[in-house]
Amino acid sequence: MASQHEQHGEHVSAHSSPRVLPASLDAPDVLLAWRKRALIVAVVFALLTLPFASVSGGLGHILRAYLMGYMTCFNFAGGALVLLMLQYVTGGKWGLLLRRPLEAMTRTLPLVALMFVPILVPQIGGYLYQWVRYPDAASTNQAYADHLISHEQALTANFKRPMLNPHAMIVEYCIIYAVLFTLMFLLNRWSLERDADPMRGALASYDRWRARFENLSGPGILIYVILMTMGAIVWIKSLDVTWYSSIWGLQFLVAQGYAVLALGILSVILLSRYQPMKTLLRTTEQHDLGKFLFAFVMLNIYLCFAEFLIIWSGNLPDEIPWYLNRIHGGWWTICTLDFACHWLIPFCLLLSRDLKRSKNRMIWITCFMIFARLVDMFWLIEPNFSDSAGNLHLAGNIGMLAYITVPVTLLALWVAYYITQLTKRPLVSTNDPHLEEILEPEHAH
Amino acid sequence: MTPREGIYGLLAEFNTPTELVRATEQAHQSGYRRMECYTPYPVEEAAVALRFHKTRVPLVCLMGGIMGMTTAFLMETWITVWSYPMNIAGRPLFSWPAFIIPAYEWTILFAGLSAAFGMLALNGLPQLYHPLFNAPNFRDGASTDKFFLCLEAEDPRFSILETRAFLEKFAPVSVVEVEL
Repeated sequence: MASQHEQHGEHVSAHSSPRVLPASLDAPDVLLAWRKRALIVAVVFALLTLPFASVSGGLGHILRAYLMGYMTCFNFAGGALVLLMLQYVTGGKWGLLLRRPLEAMTRTLPLVALMFVPILVPQIGGYLYQWVRYPDAASTNQAYADHLISHEQALTANFKRPMLNPHAMIVEYCIIYAVLFTLMFLLNRWSLERDADPMRGALASYDRWRARFENLSGPGILIYVILMTMGAIVWIKSLDVTWYSSIWGLQFLVAQGYAVLALGILSVILLSRYQPMKTLLRTTEQHDLGKFLFAFVMLNIYLCFAEFLIIWSGNLPDEIPWYLNRIHGGWWTICTLDFACHWLIPFCLLLSRDLKRSKNRMIWITCFMIFARLVDMFWLIEPNFSDSAGNLHLAGNIGMLAYITVPVTLLALWVAYYITQLTKRPLVSTNDPHLEEILEPEHAH
Repeated sequence: MTPREGIYGLLAEFNTPTELVRATEQAHQSGYRRMECYTPYPVEEAAVALRFHKTRVPLVCLMGGIMGMTTAFLMETWITVWSYPMNIAGRPLFSWPAFIIPAYEWTILFAGLSAAFGMLALNGLPQLYHPLFNAPNFRDGASTDKFFLCLEAEDPRFSILETRAFLEKFAPVSVVEVEL
């Protein structure tokens, strides 16, 4: 089938407009203006955050919102790493289009690692995590005796102590980022070496590099998923020490794919207003990327609903509080909003073929999906705190707005750094057989 | 204009899809509308040249999906709430989370079946007789290595002599009259 398509591509190229690779493959200069805008947004929202530090409960909300911002940035940087490895093992033209943006996202990992450093400080971590506040059995039992935590919280905190304690947190942090940095370093370095290969353009070179990337990416995906599961459990799910679920790692992984693919498509479409992406992005591949995004929308709701249905069916007293905290006390609104933004709206819109092939509409839908990730992150984080049930109002609780300003600050900073990384390399890898296919005239109009 | 007695259309045979697409494009520009391309494998450009953009299959598929979802959901509601109410672990009779999975499966089942049967219905299949099979070169080549353009006699622009002359401009392997 594929060979037939290639054949008839050749036939038709005779009377279609010829497509040539632009002379310069460097990122357009307009990126610098975009970076400046991102930095302005970061500064403005950082300034807007300052007043919240002085209101009652404001500092707490800033810390919670900071964790949310960090997790969203990790969502992009880590997700980009796994999607980059995924496109090496699956192959395909979509991968070639996204490769350089994804590489740029992975190179933001050092910034993301740096963002977590404040949370490693025991005073800040102690505010967020019960197991940092009471780091040993004696202090946990004392907190229970003082009615600061429930019996179950005390028992599970003591039971999970080997994984959840301040020292383990630092060790886990170091292991996770050491491995992610290694993967990031190798993938990014080889990508440049691949383009500089003296044998480039020859079949032997294609095969050698393909095999090399595949051999790293296959095991890399497995290692990444294990480490990311550990990180995602320690960093957000352990906010509620009594929580158990075995689907969470996969759920967070799919959510990463969801957001990273949305951001990748958004980047490529915005870049396609200028050369060289203008020549490289065809409607066919944009349509394929849209279909892939649709698959992530489905997989995401599938896993989220599967977890909910299993816990709802079991109806066990030690499992359901996690959901009850996220449904009662006004949280039903956020829960419904999360469902509508995360699945219902993207699903209905992405069903349309015309929408997936339209650049402007895809820009809107991908932005909306990134917003949906933030709603979801808010729904995951805030209800962990005992005061959250009465928290969903602004009167006397203006610090709640930190959930908007702080994540936006961190994300804008991250985006600025991502754009910096994007400008450092040509926007497409040239030593790849798919490049030739992308330059063929479009099949369908 | 009524179809000419005895003739379905003129069938031009080409060796390459490029020639077929060019002839189809020209035919469209000359005002022909009742025409069809026949190729051994899907040629997107031929569909473009025919201005064959949209079909109603996606709509049929969507309607089928919605019908499957509502049918399953209402059926489960009816069974558990009215027809055979049963207390299961103290849950409310209308326990909608449990209804989602069968409703989802029926959505897929109905959407899939309506896409398949809707496609057949809109295609006019199954069709036991088609005049094109009267042309021997069509029988031999259409599913192997030949590319055909048929300008149908129902088209107001159609005239045996002029249309034949028009098709012969593209240097086809042959142009044959297809009997009804």
